[in-house]
Amino acid sequence: MDNIESLLHGFTIAITLPHLALMLVGVLLGILVGVLPGLGAPNGVSLLLPLTFGMQPVSAIILLSSMYWGALFGGSVTSILFNIPGEPSSVATTFDGYPMARDGRATAALATAFGSAAFGALVGVMLITFLASWVAQVALAFGPPEYFAVYFLAFASFVGMGGAPPAKTVVSLAAGFAIAAIGIDTVSGSVRLTMGIDELVKGISFVVAVMGLFGIGELLLAVEEEVQAKAVSSRIDWREVFRTLLNLPRHGWALLRSAAIGCWMGITPGGPTAASFMSYGIAKRFSPRSARFGQGEAEGIISPETADHAAGTSALLPMLSLGIPGSATAAVMMGGLMIWGLNPGPMLFIEQKDFVWGLIASMYVGNIVAVALVLVTVPIFAALMRIPFFIIAPLIFIICTVGAYSVSNSYLDVVLMLGFGIIGYLFKKLSYPLAPLVLAIVIGDKAEDAFRQAMLMSKGSLGIFFGNALVTTLVLAGMALLLLPLVLQVAHVRTTTKPILD
Amino acid sequence: MISRRALELTTATLTGVFGAAVVISSIDKGTGWSTAGVDAGTFPFLTGLIVVIASLWNLARGWLESRAVAVSSSDLRHLIALFAPAVVFVAAIPLVGVYVASGCYMLGTLALLHRFSLPRSLLIAVTTPIALYLVFERMFQVSLPHGALADVLGF
Repeated sequence: MDNIESLLHGFTIAITLPHLALMLVGVLLGILVGVLPGLGAPNGVSLLLPLTFGMQPVSAIILLSSMYWGALFGGSVTSILFNIPGEPSSVATTFDGYPMARDGRATAALATAFGSAAFGALVGVMLITFLASWVAQVALAFGPPEYFAVYFLAFASFVGMGGAPPAKTVVSLAAGFAIAAIGIDTVSGSVRLTMGIDELVKGISFVVAVMGLFGIGELLLAVEEEVQAKAVSSRIDWREVFRTLLNLPRHGWALLRSAAIGCWMGITPGGPTAASFMSYGIAKRFSPRSARFGQGEAEGIISPETADHAAGTSALLPMLSLGIPGSATAAVMMGGLMIWGLNPGPMLFIEQKDFVWGLIASMYVGNIVAVALVLVTVPIFAALMRIPFFIIAPLIFIICTVGAYSVSNSYLDVVLMLGFGIIGYLFKKLSYPLAPLVLAIVIGDKAEDAFRQAMLMSKGSLGIFFGNALVTTLVLAGMALLLLPLVLQVAHVRTTTKPILD
Repeated sequence: MISRRALELTTATLTGVFGAAVVISSIDKGTGWSTAGVDAGTFPFLTGLIVVIASLWNLARGWLESRAVAVSSSDLRHLIALFAPAVVFVAAIPLVGVYVASGCYMLGTLALLHRFSLPRSLLIAVTTPIALYLVFERMFQVSLPHGALADVLGF
């Protein structure tokens, strides 16, 4: 019951006029970056980050997280109305959302998407409300070896369950760690990996990397695909909205299943994109109406949307209680926490109660604000999509440039961002996953510190990672996940070659 | 035209070279156990090594990739049309500052490259730097680079 009490206290922090105003601004900006192709949640949040340095941490996180919810909703709007996913995580929504809208049921498609998204988010926040402080309590007993084991497990789950080719995920991850190591080593004070460029002593900020990888990279992909908005009508019929929402419980099983998939993928860092695809795939396989998938089937919208939002929300659980973000955007927010002087992890629940519970309460309110705002503003943002992309693209480029510069007033950062942009384009094109790269840049130092402290404790023996039951279990689970793709491949070869052998 | 195979090979080579550079530059920081604990170079050395090994694997896989076109010549034209002016814009910042550079960049891409109507292009080109100034320097007090030109003019 402690949690309920803390949550109620959180509401008194979240529901104040300035914070509600911040939610409004955050959600609107979020919908904007969600709607615009080439701007997504991770780089939207990192663009805002330098502007929050002067704010109270709880106000800052409310602004940033509201932007995240807005972006998740905004991505679905363009998926349904234009068949252009505004966010990678809303790609799966285009499969049935656009056909439904094209058949003249745009309002129904949007309401289905928003309704199930809100349900997914609600399940995610409830999970955080009841589990986060418990996880944090368990994690309080963690020492450096346990922490390193948890990091190892998180990264191994990217390789094992992320869905991208394993070797490419490994490159992404390890390169991220190397980038995190650039600059002054916090333990020994020596300067590492600057390759003779003095300015790199301060290291490479994750904001610059995100701006290039996601911002410029997406832009290059979008211009190549020549996004052209062919809109269906975006007028909202309110009676239809309520009728659709009242009908949603009929899909209760799909909603629950998708929320479960989403929460699982959010907590183990699979991220919203993988969650929405997985949820759509499972729905298509097991639904009795699977033949209608792809032609505007309601369950084809419900499944990816619920999972997307459940994953996006629950990605904050490991970030708050363990200091391990569950998605790229959560990683950016966690970087923000560190800049504001907070230490993400279990101590937050003891030292920063107001911050944690204010944030959790704001997630309930923020998602309600987001649903209401996105419904009201659909026509406005739909009109925005009619601006030709050749005008939007250079504007986004300028915004990213200025954003990268404003991190530490450094021109080198702008040049680095360009470089990351090319990498982002190549990686996306060749399905190298970007989220592990960003995650590794944000928590690379912490993972390294945990490793080195553990080694100090054991005087250089790796045996410490098998020192007690907990660490051993975590490390073994991580290894199993690393080997999973290999096992699956062998099993796949077996089953496909069997008929030939028979 | 660029084939999928060429793209895979280029990327794997890029990541491999990066990994190798990380390995080489971390060797002299020490890569093992000393009296002070784990040496500063150990962690980067290991990550660099992993990048190199995985890149070699990707290189081998890339070699087997199809030669199907991944980026057609019209795609490439679009890419260059976006990226080349952007690089010029970034290169111009130290000289003329963000404001002049962003205005010229918008005007150039809209009016010259995409044949957008001149009055509208001019309007956007003037509004952009003003909006940047208001949002960054005024609202959030983030100073943007004014460039060598502003120094000469004495701003």
